[in-house]
Amino acid sequence: MRQLEEFLTGRTWLRNFIPFPKELVDKAISTGAITVSQGILDGRQCARCLEKSTQKIIPFFCARCNGICYYCRHCIKMGRISSCTELITWALPSTISPQSHSFHWNGNLTPLQKKASLEVQNSLLQKNDHLVYAVCGAGKTELLFPPIFDALKKGQRVCIAAPRTDVVLELSPRLRSVFPNTIIHSLYGDSPEETGFAQLVIATTHQLYRFKDAFDVMIVDEADAFPFSYDPALKKAVINAKKKEAPIIYVSATPSAQLVKQVSNTSKIFQRFHGHPLPVPEFRSLWGYEKDFAKGRIPPKLMAWVDDKIAKEQPFLLFFPTIELIEQAIVLLQKKHPSIEAVHSKDEDRKEKVMKLRQRQIPGVVTSTILERGITIANVQVAVVGADQPIFDAAALIQISGRTGRSKDHPDGEIVFFHNGIVRQMDKAKKLIVSYNEGAGI
Amino acid sequence: MNCYLCDRMMLPHVSWRSIFFNELEEVICLRCRAGFERTAAGCPICSAPGEGKCLNCSQWETTEYAGVIDSGKSLYRYNHAMKEFLHQYKFLKDVVLSEVFASVLKEECSKQNSVIVPIPMNDVKLKERTFPQVDRLLDAASIPYTHCLGKNEVGLGEKSKSERMALQDVFWWNGQAVPEKILLFDDLYTTGSTMRLAAKVLKEKGAKEIKILTLIRA
Repeated sequence: MRQLEEFLTGRTWLRNFIPFPKELVDKAISTGAITVSQGILDGRQCARCLEKSTQKIIPFFCARCNGICYYCRHCIKMGRISSCTELITWALPSTISPQSHSFHWNGNLTPLQKKASLEVQNSLLQKNDHLVYAVCGAGKTELLFPPIFDALKKGQRVCIAAPRTDVVLELSPRLRSVFPNTIIHSLYGDSPEETGFAQLVIATTHQLYRFKDAFDVMIVDEADAFPFSYDPALKKAVINAKKKEAPIIYVSATPSAQLVKQVSNTSKIFQRFHGHPLPVPEFRSLWGYEKDFAKGRIPPKLMAWVDDKIAKEQPFLLFFPTIELIEQAIVLLQKKHPSIEAVHSKDEDRKEKVMKLRQRQIPGVVTSTILERGITIANVQVAVVGADQPIFDAAALIQISGRTGRSKDHPDGEIVFFHNGIVRQMDKAKKLIVSYNEGAGI
Repeated sequence: MNCYLCDRMMLPHVSWRSIFFNELEEVICLRCRAGFERTAAGCPICSAPGEGKCLNCSQWETTEYAGVIDSGKSLYRYNHAMKEFLHQYKFLKDVVLSEVFASVLKEECSKQNSVIVPIPMNDVKLKERTFPQVDRLLDAASIPYTHCLGKNEVGLGEKSKSERMALQDVFWWNGQAVPEKILLFDDLYTTGSTMRLAAKVLKEKGAKEIKILTLIRA
């Protein structure tokens, strides 16, 4: 029963998917320790992800009920919710005894980081929302360590929500080594099952659908990132997963003007932790690149760029707007340099390929926007092919530019926007980067 | 609308054919469609790759199930995309995915002059899954069919092939008139046991010619 309580506290779970014996669950329900609720609410809304569009809430003839049931396609990957499935939650106040925590970190915060760190701590004390607006490579994660430790010591439950699995995977080992005695769960699609009650949860925003009134502190990392900013359901999931009065700490290098306006407590850091300015993107024309690729040739300017990086033995990332273009380009690039790899969101070996690049086993990686944030590779050189395409908005371009010059030993790096005509978002990105270097910002 | 599989936006495809011939609406994008691999000519019963009758089917022909299937075809190979599809359709129970292969099945079945008989599910399994996944594939394509069989509660999945071959009475005749020409339909062909067992019952009840059609050859 103890394990069931640890598992289910603050969570909503599909009754028929819970990894505990049925008798145990039934008993907990009969004693009132667990409450049961319907999977689909009356207004044809999914009780877990709160989706209600008719494109995602689908009627079907249910053989179990012998009638029409509805099911939710939006969160189906987490186990199907339908009118005749039930969600369960732990109903009793938590009896889980407090854990002890230790803080192992011998890095130093810069004065700017320290200031922001204290400001975050202050907002948490006053239960105010807070925005950490800091450029890529400012050391956002590190400045959160002291406030997180503080909250953990008080017995509070902390969640760090990130938009993508890649970011969760990047954050998890860092936090596990900083808080070695804390039970930490990393949750993403297909993450391995973990036991015990996690006081610190690092999760993709999608996984928050499975929490309810759970967290005392909610940290939303990369708060501007897809899919969080475009999907209102995810915003609701964040609100739902935290306790009512719990403050939200937004962290972003490229917050929307709306977020900046909405959150009154803001800490700004427009300098990287190593004190060097952000590399400023250079615009280079690449007229008719799509036609070139379609005809089976690599535009000469692009080829020259790639050859140059390989000759200098500098690792590189090459961003493309569509998977189709990646597939055309990688075949052509591999003809000349067979060890170049391509990654995209459907790629199962993504982690391994990025690791290989980091360890210098391969010269470069061709990628979709999936690698635009959260990854750090020393001395990496970056180019965007088709920077004029709408998928690369200013935020994405700033994030991509932010991959360069992150390490102390290589604070510089090349960032080139190859384009078929300069568009406003490119200009906006460049202007903002220049303004950060001058100490301004939005 | 968005692609049922990758959820990316699809541009609506409008052609004269789609306006005048009431074509089935495309529910997945071209990219996802390209992930599925059609079978080429192969075994005349199960479409396994290679020349002539495959080893597996030849082996069946040495048993008491010899001759119960006259000919047959599978439409797709069991590749990565298909594995994902089956997982989402059968395991995650994403019922709308029954529409993904509707036009292919419609085209295939319109060539037939046999009565289509789907492989049934047993009641316990059906309640568990909440929908009959084989029937739904046909329903999505508006293909008419008749059930002539019932199925007992034996999971074939866990049985080895020799055990499967030994299984009797998995299927029983449900009392419906058995047509002379039958096209037995199932979603997945693995060892052929399901089809052989079902075909034998139908032949014993008077079917003269039995062809088989499966969506996927594993």
